[in-house]
Amino acid sequence: MPTPSSRYLRTAFIVGLFVILCIGGFTYKHISELSQTSKVVKDNYSLRSELELIISNLKDAEIGHRGFLLTHDSLFLNPYEESLQKVTSNLHKLDTLIVSNGEQVEKLKELKEDIKKRFNNFDKSFSLAKDDTILTQDLLFLLHEGEIRMDRIRADITAMLDLEQRLLTHNQEINEKKIGLTPLLFYGLLIVTLVILLLAYFKMSKDLKALKENNIELEIFEKLTKQSEIVSNTSTWVWYIEDNEFEFSDNLYRLVGEEPQSFEPTLENFYKYVHEEDINHLGQQVNMMMREEELPFTTYRVVHKDGTIRHLKAYSKMMDDTEGDKKMFGVTIDVTNELENYRIIEQRNQELERTNKELSAFNYVASHDLQEPLRKIQTFMSRLEAKEKDHISESGQLYIQRMKSASARMRMLIEDLLQYSRTNTSEKEYLRTNMNMLLEHAKTELLDSIEEKQATIICDDLPTMDVISFQIQQLFINIISNSLKYSREGVPPIIEITHQEVLSKDVEEIKDSLYKFHHKITFKDNGIGFEQTYADKIFLLFNRLHGKSEYSGTGIGLAICKKIVENHKGVILAESMPNAGASFIIYLPFLK
Amino acid sequence: MNSDYINIALADDDEDDRLFFTEAFDELKLKSKVLLFKDGIELMEYLNDGDNTLPSLLFLDLNMPKKSGLECLKDIKATERLREMVIAIYSTSASEEDIENTFVKGANVYIKKPNDFEKLKKVLSEVVTTNWQYQTSGLNKDNFLLRL
Repeated sequence: MPTPSSRYLRTAFIVGLFVILCIGGFTYKHISELSQTSKVVKDNYSLRSELELIISNLKDAEIGHRGFLLTHDSLFLNPYEESLQKVTSNLHKLDTLIVSNGEQVEKLKELKEDIKKRFNNFDKSFSLAKDDTILTQDLLFLLHEGEIRMDRIRADITAMLDLEQRLLTHNQEINEKKIGLTPLLFYGLLIVTLVILLLAYFKMSKDLKALKENNIELEIFEKLTKQSEIVSNTSTWVWYIEDNEFEFSDNLYRLVGEEPQSFEPTLENFYKYVHEEDINHLGQQVNMMMREEELPFTTYRVVHKDGTIRHLKAYSKMMDDTEGDKKMFGVTIDVTNELENYRIIEQRNQELERTNKELSAFNYVASHDLQEPLRKIQTFMSRLEAKEKDHISESGQLYIQRMKSASARMRMLIEDLLQYSRTNTSEKEYLRTNMNMLLEHAKTELLDSIEEKQATIICDDLPTMDVISFQIQQLFINIISNSLKYSREGVPPIIEITHQEVLSKDVEEIKDSLYKFHHKITFKDNGIGFEQTYADKIFLLFNRLHGKSEYSGTGIGLAICKKIVENHKGVILAESMPNAGASFIIYLPFLK
Repeated sequence: MNSDYINIALADDDEDDRLFFTEAFDELKLKSKVLLFKDGIELMEYLNDGDNTLPSLLFLDLNMPKKSGLECLKDIKATERLREMVIAIYSTSASEEDIENTFVKGANVYIKKPNDFEKLKKVLSEVVTTNWQYQTSGLNKDNFLLRL
């Protein structure tokens, strides 16, 4: 497709050419008309002079005639004869000069008639004169008649001259009318042409300037492309399908370990570098490219001269250029590093997968294999206690009690550990959940100990949030059971649960959070509390502030809480003073 | 064989568990006859023999050598003759996955092996005395795992 600019230039050129041709045509026409006119004028003047010559020649004839009549000397007949001849030739010339005008022809005829009559008159008077002037009366009459004839001839000639003058004037008028506008038209056309040419000139110079700028940009682009090809290990190539010729970018040579443009860019030459195991496949792909006019992503190896093997990946697509020629534009990338990285990642993934499998295998061992012998120990102990009670001594029974509590503790430990490892699961599905409902479930789960401790739970209306619901429920259970466990002797526990929405930047602990808002949920109890110095320690795995005999527990519950809150990208804090109750504060971000 | 007896079967590879099971039934004094199988293969061989009396209640351990409880469950439900048998899963673990799988495959109830003999007796008597014909219609995933 021609650009608008080149189309404009072409139009300007065609219009200019047309105008010049027009001017030429008109000029030729007018010049030929002018020469026609000048011929007419010339003819006119010849005619005039001939007519005047006729009169003068007739006068000469008359003079000769009169001389003869007076003298009868034949010498006077000579000029008469001469003028007669001259008049005849004059008339003959007039014949050639007058052809176009009918009226003039008519008049010429009349003139000829009159001249003829005049000469007849001459002839008659000659013949009378020869008879020795006897019939003078007749001669006199003839002379009078001759005079009259002469006047008529003069009148004829005058009329002819008048008519000729009129014709000339008329002709001139027509010519003037015809030519009159031509110079102005020429001038106008010339101005228009000039304007068009000027515009074309400006346009061309503007285009040229733009072209120059484009050229500079292209140059920069080319340099940048070369640089980026080197930096990013990519290269480009073009296949001119019509001519079956290739063009390789400098970096394609580098990708096969050669100096830029060091060999002729042909397929055969390129194949020399392709790894022999990959050459068949690449050949098939290239053949397919020729047919399908597209090369899908194709990976193959090349071997450098020094034996280095690199992995290349190519892609190309057919595009029509502005001239309608078909070309394949291809990109070839060195993906060796990516492949290596991918391999490393793959390896690490496999290691991770293995570790995960080991972990879940451990989970299974813990849940099944470890619990099974323990369950049997417990069952056998219950059998022993029930069936053999009478045969066992008092201290033996005490030992059984100790064994029972030890195995119960082991069971608790196994279950808590399992719970803790379950909070690690990759299965993280955040669903919109009503937190009031989760709290209710937690309370139901803890119903026995709440009743036993006569605890009161006061709770704000909690929001709906995007959470892993079973984990949050576990979090509530663990915090509440913690408060129930560490309640003061003889004081029924009161647990207050409050909710607040806070701006993250207003709170020290979460001011660097990626989330703008957080839910703040506080669990405040009236239990035994603890020293603020231990506030961080209580969330560590297996960490306990009290002896096993004072308060049962595994030291896992709060660690689970921390894990759950971290799974939700939140923060959990504890604030307390001994005997002043404890507060557990949970910040959970607005995830959406 | 007397029709007054309830035929009960247990497939479990664990010797101790089989012992607890039979002792519990002995102490419960139910009119029952307990059949014991050491693994899935042994169980399926018995069930697939047309001459044998089918148990009306089958307790099925999941983790067994050779053929697991889940495979047995699948085969039983795929066999026209065995399909109506009431099946109680009897396992040490009570993982969500196992519960889900056995529920979908059509087991009637899921029992986590208790760690106390008295509890075991209670659970077994509960299962044996339940009218499963009636119970099955109201079966859902929430009451599938037996809690006492």
